[in-house]
Amino acid sequence: MILDWLQKLASAHPPLRPPGAVLPEGEFEKKCIRCRRCEEVCPYDSIKMAHGEWGLKMGTPIIIAREVPCYLCMKCPEVCPSGALEPATRKEETKMGKAVINQETCLPYSGIICRACYERCPIYREAITLKDEIYPIVHEDKCVGCGICENVCPNDPASITVISAHFPEE
Amino acid sequence: MTRFEKFIYEHLHILRRLVQVAALLFLVAVPILNKFGFNEILGTFYSIKIGNLDIVDPALMLQNILLTKEIYFPMLLAGIIPLIIALLLGKVFCSWVCPFNLFAEFTDKLRKKIRPKTVKFHNHNPKPHYYWLVFGIILTAVAVLGVPLIALISMPGLISGQIADALFWGSLGFEIIFVLLILTVEVFWAPRFWCKYACPVGATLSLLRSRHTLKIHYNPRQCSCSSKYLPCNNACPVQLDPRHAGIYPYCYNCGECVDACRQEGQALTFTLQPAEKLSAAQIQNRKQMID
Repeated sequence: MILDWLQKLASAHPPLRPPGAVLPEGEFEKKCIRCRRCEEVCPYDSIKMAHGEWGLKMGTPIIIAREVPCYLCMKCPEVCPSGALEPATRKEETKMGKAVINQETCLPYSGIICRACYERCPIYREAITLKDEIYPIVHEDKCVGCGICENVCPNDPASITVISAHFPEE
Repeated sequence: MTRFEKFIYEHLHILRRLVQVAALLFLVAVPILNKFGFNEILGTFYSIKIGNLDIVDPALMLQNILLTKEIYFPMLLAGIIPLIIALLLGKVFCSWVCPFNLFAEFTDKLRKKIRPKTVKFHNHNPKPHYYWLVFGIILTAVAVLGVPLIALISMPGLISGQIADALFWGSLGFEIIFVLLILTVEVFWAPRFWCKYACPVGATLSLLRSRHTLKIHYNPRQCSCSSKYLPCNNACPVQLDPRHAGIYPYCYNCGECVDACRQEGQALTFTLQPAEKLSAAQIQNRKQMID
């Protein structure tokens, strides 16, 4: 059981922070008071809580995009009491991370038509566009990193993943 | 004494238990209601939002100021409400609401059962220095290490957070082990050390005290117990001696001693009046009367 858990921890893709979370991670960790209001207000149950295995980060909110992404309803920044999630954030202005396409596994790049990420992207036709009407391309400046694309990608593991702004992968 | 006061005095113990259980039920009800989409009441004992009213644990407000070195105004406002309640009524949050105190009181009963030798406890009122020393160490650690230590060790917060997580996700974190560890230490080694000395939440609530804050008043003329049999000392959950001065900041106004004394001479009462100034001779005289 412990081995399973360690393996899961080692292979886990770093999670996202809720929209509006202050950057960098150290600052967020100091401001968050672990009150769970964002967890409770989230209508999609996207926000989960980091537990003891996260050490000092325990009790802080995380979003695992592959399970449930953030649908950018922006209810959580409003209820945050400590300013860890900045209250006056528009969904287009949040920066939870940026999506990256793995062209080696992405279906259109190997000849199969797929528009899953393009069609579900909440920043429609801005954050993800299609090159030659076939190949999806991410525009980093527009992408908010909500993780919906990662969630809907039919490949396993997903060909489009969101690199968290708070936990940049090495 | 008004009828309301009389009612409170007569049902002090049962009223307190009712409030404590209601607080625990509140912690269970809030996540369930939110799970079904009712978002008017949000939060845990770290911070609660009822409609538009925001309440934050003042200890966390203090922690935030120390960590970020700036003041976030909405949080400052939200943290003042509990401080005002504490200024009027003392640390009543600890004794009447905090779920950890409820658990600790019952594990303390367990201690008296399984370690009968420790039942006869020699109550005394320790100097307030110890209390402020521990609190000072915690605050210094927060400021120097830059770690949100108060949020990580706040017992009401951890317990209510774990209840919320368990109801939302059906899983408990490692944090709960920390809570159980402290309860175990309290049973086998240091009875009620957490609430009495270590808790930063309680310490923040006892920062503000005025002459008119709710307090226990002792009238030696009405005291009818001998020093061999002291129901007030036996009843005190944190091993204080309410007959002597200096029970604050340790006393959290639970009223167990008042309740125990009601059967005897009714020498202990709650009061909002400032304590009368005693001369040195009078204090000496009173000490002789007690011993």
